[in-house]
Amino acid sequence: MARGISYLALGVAFGAAVASFAPGGATPAAPSGVDELALFSRVFDKAREFYVDKPDDNKMVVAAINGMLASLDPHSAYLDAKALNDFQTTMKGEEFGGLGLEVMQEGGLVRVVSPIDDTPAARAGMMSGDIITRIDDTPVKGLTLKEAVDKMRGPANTSVRLEVSRGAAKETREFTIVREIIKVLPVRSRLESGDIGYIRITQFNQQTFDGLQTAIAKFRFAPGGDKLKGYILDLRNNPGGLLTQSIEVVNAFVDHGQIVSTRGRTVDQFQEYDARAGADLSQGKPLVVLINGGSASASEIVSGALQDLGRATLIGTRSFGKGSVQTVLSLGENGALKLTTARYYTPSGRSIQAKGIEPDIKIRENVPDDLKGKVDTKGEASLAGHLKNGDDEKTGSEAYVPPDPANDTQLIAAVEFLHGRSPTASAKEPAHSDN
Amino acid sequence: MIRKVSYLAVGVAIGAVCAGWTPQTVSAFGQSALAAAADTYRELNLFGDVFDKIRNDYVEKPDESKLIEAAINGMLSSLDPHSSYMDAKAYRDMQVQTKGEFGGLGIEVTEEDGLIKVVSPIDDTPAAKAGIMSGDIIAGIDDTPTQGMTLDQAVDKMRGSVNSSVRLKILRGPTKTVKEFKIVRDIIKVQSVRSHVEADDIGYIRITQFTEQTADGLKSAMEKLRADVPADKFKGYILDLRNNPGGLLDQSIDVANAFLDKGEIVSTRGRNPDDAQRFNARPGGDLSGGNPLVVLINGGSASASEIVSGALQDHKRATLIGTRSFGKGSVQTIMPLGQDGALRLTTARYYTPSGRSIQAKGIDPDIEILEDVPPDLKGKDDTKGEASLKGHLTNGAEEKSGSQAYVPTDPKDDKQLIAAVDLLHGVKRADIVPAKADAAGASPAPTPAPSDAPKDAPAPAKPDAAAPN
Repeated sequence: MARGISYLALGVAFGAAVASFAPGGATPAAPSGVDELALFSRVFDKAREFYVDKPDDNKMVVAAINGMLASLDPHSAYLDAKALNDFQTTMKGEEFGGLGLEVMQEGGLVRVVSPIDDTPAARAGMMSGDIITRIDDTPVKGLTLKEAVDKMRGPANTSVRLEVSRGAAKETREFTIVREIIKVLPVRSRLESGDIGYIRITQFNQQTFDGLQTAIAKFRFAPGGDKLKGYILDLRNNPGGLLTQSIEVVNAFVDHGQIVSTRGRTVDQFQEYDARAGADLSQGKPLVVLINGGSASASEIVSGALQDLGRATLIGTRSFGKGSVQTVLSLGENGALKLTTARYYTPSGRSIQAKGIEPDIKIRENVPDDLKGKVDTKGEASLAGHLKNGDDEKTGSEAYVPPDPANDTQLIAAVEFLHGRSPTASAKEPAHSDN
Repeated sequence: MIRKVSYLAVGVAIGAVCAGWTPQTVSAFGQSALAAAADTYRELNLFGDVFDKIRNDYVEKPDESKLIEAAINGMLSSLDPHSSYMDAKAYRDMQVQTKGEFGGLGIEVTEEDGLIKVVSPIDDTPAAKAGIMSGDIIAGIDDTPTQGMTLDQAVDKMRGSVNSSVRLKILRGPTKTVKEFKIVRDIIKVQSVRSHVEADDIGYIRITQFTEQTADGLKSAMEKLRADVPADKFKGYILDLRNNPGGLLDQSIDVANAFLDKGEIVSTRGRNPDDAQRFNARPGGDLSGGNPLVVLINGGSASASEIVSGALQDHKRATLIGTRSFGKGSVQTIMPLGQDGALRLTTARYYTPSGRSIQAKGIDPDIEILEDVPPDLKGKDDTKGEASLKGHLTNGAEEKSGSQAYVPTDPKDDKQLIAAVDLLHGVKRADIVPAKADAAGASPAPTPAPSDAPKDAPAPAKPDAAAPN
């Protein structure tokens, strides 16, 4: 059975994961579900026989499965064969032909979260916040996010026309962009102010730990261990991914102790994951982790563990609050089921479900006027049907990261902190914040 | 099994019907049926597989009957907006609505600022006899405060079996004087037909829904109107179907028959050509004495209301005044599922006598008259119509969405009603010409009235928030 900490309702839904599948033998129905199943098949039979038009059996069953899963929680979902394939592509970090846009759904339209560096979309001048209104000749209104993404993807060297509405004035622009092979690199890094290793993880797929390892090795070589003041691990707007990868990432910064535990309904869903000794690559260098309202799931496992173990200082705003684990269960040729099977707990035993992780130093970004009110994530606690977690649930926070690092208040604070200047001390909010 | 023209998404949830259902369930189990059975088995297997995985592996122990209900609802809503599953309670409520009678007190109540308020006691019911008055606030039912109850919950508590009793704590008047009433429940019939003499010489009849009581109610209303107005003075009938969301198919047929002596009223067609049914007027069923008839319709007139207006229009028996009707041209059948409630499934489309389906198109009135909508309701008074419902059964290229569904509370402001009266009085108005002119061979008369009013505004109208109990 593949265990994935799934992707989040947040957005960027070309989602998700997998490792190998267990044979998934058909469990014989235990007696208790029999009456319910009988009721279902009676309704199914009646609809097949008496409905005014001949219904499509498979569509009815898929609608039933989706109805049933939606009644459980917002993260359980049915993946048909195609959706499963897309999910696997993303989790493997495979390549595809496309434009290089991270997108999310907003008000029935598709909004650009950000163009990925060095891709056709970035070179054509697409910008964060652009609303895509038309793809070739199809209006986006009425398409699901997945349908829109499918329309934008295609073989390399073919072209696609996008109609975009930009900014507060909703200025309409047209772009014709030629698709290229896009390789989603989950880890990007650069040296920040000459002596800090900045590492951004955009998602936890099967390439993530390898990417992190390479980045750290690079910093240890130049500027080298002596000069390196520390690391910044940027998990902002990282919606999550594979549980195993998040554990490896934590282990790259700690040498011992528990990283996370998961608990489900059955005994075999109870598992504790501890750091392997000798796996720490960080040489004890100071570490700042950046989080915001878009940091979810696997990102929260990493930040929660590093916070509880006293290994990192968390800067930013409260994280999303997705404290559940989904498992991808094979349904043979019919695709797979992504089912919530466990909750996870940080080393100190807290569940972040519908609460999120509070940063040690709260710093907010200056949000441009035309994005005000649009950059907050609602957070897990605001999702209909989310798993409950006591009385003090907390909703989302800001999820805006300025495209220009020079304006990135959170990043600047992290650099100051590592340089030994306590950044605007205790959680000062920027002078002109939006409240 | 019961066949009904279901009520509509429009609002007031009232359902449904009954004629007989031919026992065709035991159909042949031929070759193709066997092949289909294999496919079905495969699909059901997939469903069962998912269900088992949820039961075994979900993070919390799931409620299996809730799971199945969600599955059934997901499946049915993928078919169309009118197919649905009713659990045991919803099914009981629907039967009460359909029957048009229940054990209760006879009060129409509404919710106002979280309080349960009496709209009016219904004449000749235990509540009226006990002295419950319009405007009374119901603060407690037996020993339970109504604070925090929904209107539905309060109504449920007040209803009960005949001869049982209930205690009401009432706050009356501006001083909120507390009064206690002990009232014995009786059979309450929901008035689906109301009538009065309009302008001294016209019989006005309003049907609010098509329940089992409707045809009888119409009959008594027509008899009373004839007794109240001397035959030589009687100018005709106004049948008001505005904001009537529908109800039982057989009742709509009886209602049309009360104005027609012969001819087809409606036909229904399901998936099998053999299932087509034709409903004709029974000779002798016409109670109207051939008097002129105006039918009032608007965007809230749906389903059974559209069967009646469509039949009367096709036979040129009535002039339709108002705005385009909702456009629900499908028939739902209620299939009981034992103690588990019932399935409401779309099983047929219906067609007016001339063979047109009104599905997602509605019926256009012969004379379109728009009401003056108060500024605070503008844009909120239009129904979106069937054509705007997600997943509706489609009907060709020229579908039409909803129209106005506002009826002024004061009849003096009711332009549609005034036009109907003028028409029956023969008042010459440029904007109203009887539909019959058409039958007489004159050039088609329909006169589209001012069409500058909002046509596609959002938010369906809520015709009637009051719930009788």
